[in-house]
Amino acid sequence: MNSVLTHIQPSSTHSRLEEQDEFEHTDSAAWGSMAGFGNLSRTGGIAGMSVPRVANPTAFLDMHTDNMSSNPEAKIKIAHGTTTLAFKFQGGVIVAVDSRATAGSYVASGTVKKVIEINKFLLGTMAGGAADCQYWETYLGMQCRLHELRNKERISVAAASKILSNIVYQYKGMGLSMGTMVCGWDKTGPQIFYVDDDGQRLKGNLFSVGSGSTFAYGVLDQGYRWDLTDEEAQELGRRSIIAAGHRDAYSGNTCNLYHVKENGWDFIGNYDVNELWYEYEAKKKADRETATAATAPSPMAVEP
Amino acid sequence: MALYHNPPMAYAQEPTTAPIEHRFNPYSDNGGSILAIAGSDFSVIAGDTRQSEGYNIQTRYARKVWQLTDKAVLATNGFAADGNNFVKKVKQRLEWYEHAHHKPMGLKSIARMIQTMLYGKRFFPYYVYNILGGIEEDGTGAVYSFDPVGSYEREACRAAGAAQSLIQPFLDNQIYFKNQQPEPGSQPFIPGNLPLGTVLSLVVDSFTSATERHIEVGDGMEIYVVMKKGRSTDDLLGDKGLASGMTIEELPSLGESISEGEGGERTFLVRQALKRD
Amino acid sequence: MFLTRSEYDRGVNTFSPEGRLFQVEYAMEAIKLGSTTVGITTPEGVVLAVEKRVPSPLLESSSIEKIMEIDSHIGTAMSGLTADARTMVEHARVTSQMHAFTYDEKIGVESCTQAVCDLALRFGESVEDDDALMSRPFGVALLIAGIDEKGPQLYHTDPSGTFVRYDAKAIGSGSDAAQQSLQDAFHKQMTLLEAHSLALKVLKQVMEEKLDENNVQLAQVTKAQGFEILGENDLKAVIDTLGTA
Repeated sequence: MNSVLTHIQPSSTHSRLEEQDEFEHTDSAAWGSMAGFGNLSRTGGIAGMSVPRVANPTAFLDMHTDNMSSNPEAKIKIAHGTTTLAFKFQGGVIVAVDSRATAGSYVASGTVKKVIEINKFLLGTMAGGAADCQYWETYLGMQCRLHELRNKERISVAAASKILSNIVYQYKGMGLSMGTMVCGWDKTGPQIFYVDDDGQRLKGNLFSVGSGSTFAYGVLDQGYRWDLTDEEAQELGRRSIIAAGHRDAYSGNTCNLYHVKENGWDFIGNYDVNELWYEYEAKKKADRETATAATAPSPMAVEP
Repeated sequence: MALYHNPPMAYAQEPTTAPIEHRFNPYSDNGGSILAIAGSDFSVIAGDTRQSEGYNIQTRYARKVWQLTDKAVLATNGFAADGNNFVKKVKQRLEWYEHAHHKPMGLKSIARMIQTMLYGKRFFPYYVYNILGGIEEDGTGAVYSFDPVGSYEREACRAAGAAQSLIQPFLDNQIYFKNQQPEPGSQPFIPGNLPLGTVLSLVVDSFTSATERHIEVGDGMEIYVVMKKGRSTDDLLGDKGLASGMTIEELPSLGESISEGEGGERTFLVRQALKRD
Repeated sequence: MFLTRSEYDRGVNTFSPEGRLFQVEYAMEAIKLGSTTVGITTPEGVVLAVEKRVPSPLLESSSIEKIMEIDSHIGTAMSGLTADARTMVEHARVTSQMHAFTYDEKIGVESCTQAVCDLALRFGESVEDDDALMSRPFGVALLIAGIDEKGPQLYHTDPSGTFVRYDAKAIGSGSDAAQQSLQDAFHKQMTLLEAHSLALKVLKQVMEEKLDENNVQLAQVTKAQGFEILGENDLKAVIDTLGTA
């Protein structure tokens, strides 16, 4: 009864083709004294996800939503586009993300919280479908809390990320869209697991996900060392997001920065991408001037 | 569910020689626009009343904004049939909740429930953009905006629908003071602190302007104002009083369990005509 | 009389001609065999105390678990067939978490109790095609303590699925005497510390063994700290105050 699988598996595959009316799948207790929990079953699993009564539900979804990006002209625009990164270092885990959500070329929001606070020790990042990440990572938070109550011990990052990857694997091919990093600190120290919509789950020291990830990696890789100080690491995370926000049109607005330490995560701050970019530029310019001033009186200098 | 006792077979399994329509298209776009703005202790939720399909106006009065509880108002936009049905189900869940837990559902709870309801149809989405406005448990005005499959966020203001791209930049400028500089020596801007009168005229300007430039917006508008306990109608009218052509009505309290004497949150419905061409 | 009774006590869903469900009544008897459990409400929070029967010196007393956390703001103490309580606590935990997931708020103490009682009545023949069928009523009673926007609350549930709210309640083998002592000593303005010592004092009266930190368990739910089981040192401190008093 306590096994995770029975709690998280979606309804059986044979019923996918039939339209699932929510009254069919939830028992009378659902609207009785508890007033129901929507698409949650009695055991906390997911029960009533309705699927259109068509031969190929995935093609249906593809035709009407821009979800799988094969159909950007679709009517239903789902919030998209991102730069997120996380890396481990001597002082814990740095998590940095931008805050832009786009629907097509429209900036749907510039204030999205792409770091999802699963609990005091676990963070999840959001790339891909905003709702997929938000919903499943909140759901993961519930499963982690149940793990804690049942086992009187906090869940490991490895186990938490596996719960998430098992969930999305159940829905593989049905059109979920998420690329997330589950970050935290457990008995084994700081941990990062990358989990995505095709069920991939990777452990690593450094990841960046989203349309702006290539730009972020550029800055991140050249500045990354294990023995970074806390301040250096935070600055590296921030600088990488600013760079991506500057070069990737689908990323930008602001940067949210988190630092996971032994006693849980800290929110470090929210920074305006545009403002910081010009601050960096001004600083570069000032540095250049002091450098040239120092080397200026060269006898070999060519007269202007 | 008697209707579903013998569920029809999936289309693909039905043996037939007739040509099969493969494109199942249950969606339509009915235009219109909605917006909501949160104040420090009030929330304004508005929508126009035109419903159209393509360039054909189906009706000049279709409701898009709905009072859910004494503290919450929901605006829906997109496919009207989905929107109406969604509101119906939200109201049903609110009633079940009140019976089960002996209290009306709070605003943030409604927001989370709406997420789970939208996500429950992740693979057969409601083509609806929702904006929820109202008063939070702590007495502050709040706006929550949703995408069709349930991602949500609390904000100070939000526009959605056909004229979203016309109205939102205006609100960014006027509510968030984006790209504005305070005059030298004056107070810095604090978003979310505008007086109700100012907010109301911003809403009216948003819709009259959108009506001018968007064919799917017009006919009339309905503005719901949810005010925290203790605020009076005078706050609503401002110094200038009621603008010409505006009507205002106070909506009766929906809560059965709230004691009447104390006076809870008050919801007002302000209507104004928009151009009908 | 005995014959009549034995005919109607076989099926769990068969009423006797006098309108009684004997199996449910027998289940209530099972609680009276259980160890004594006490709950006391104060304006600061709710206190739960249980007697842990340690029949053998070889038994590891810390492995006896009779007070459990349902959520950070709700806890429960049990008496009777404690194995049955595990199913109920699991259900209460899942329901509490589902509520938090669906409504972004903590579940109310009464709603949580209601959820447990819904489950208590689901014994007998299958009504719908449920995954788990229960063949008999639960043989356990719970004291559910918690704090929500309505303040500190204490509920008592029994195998019939009935729940009632109490200021102070004792269940289990010594419940009759314990309830009388509670009635004599309880007052509405009790402090949490007074409730701690009253709970243990009441247990001490009805326990056969000498009360010490190994054979009782004390827990509390407060606004600030939520649910917590008192550690050995805190428990010892309360027991020490009993000796002098």
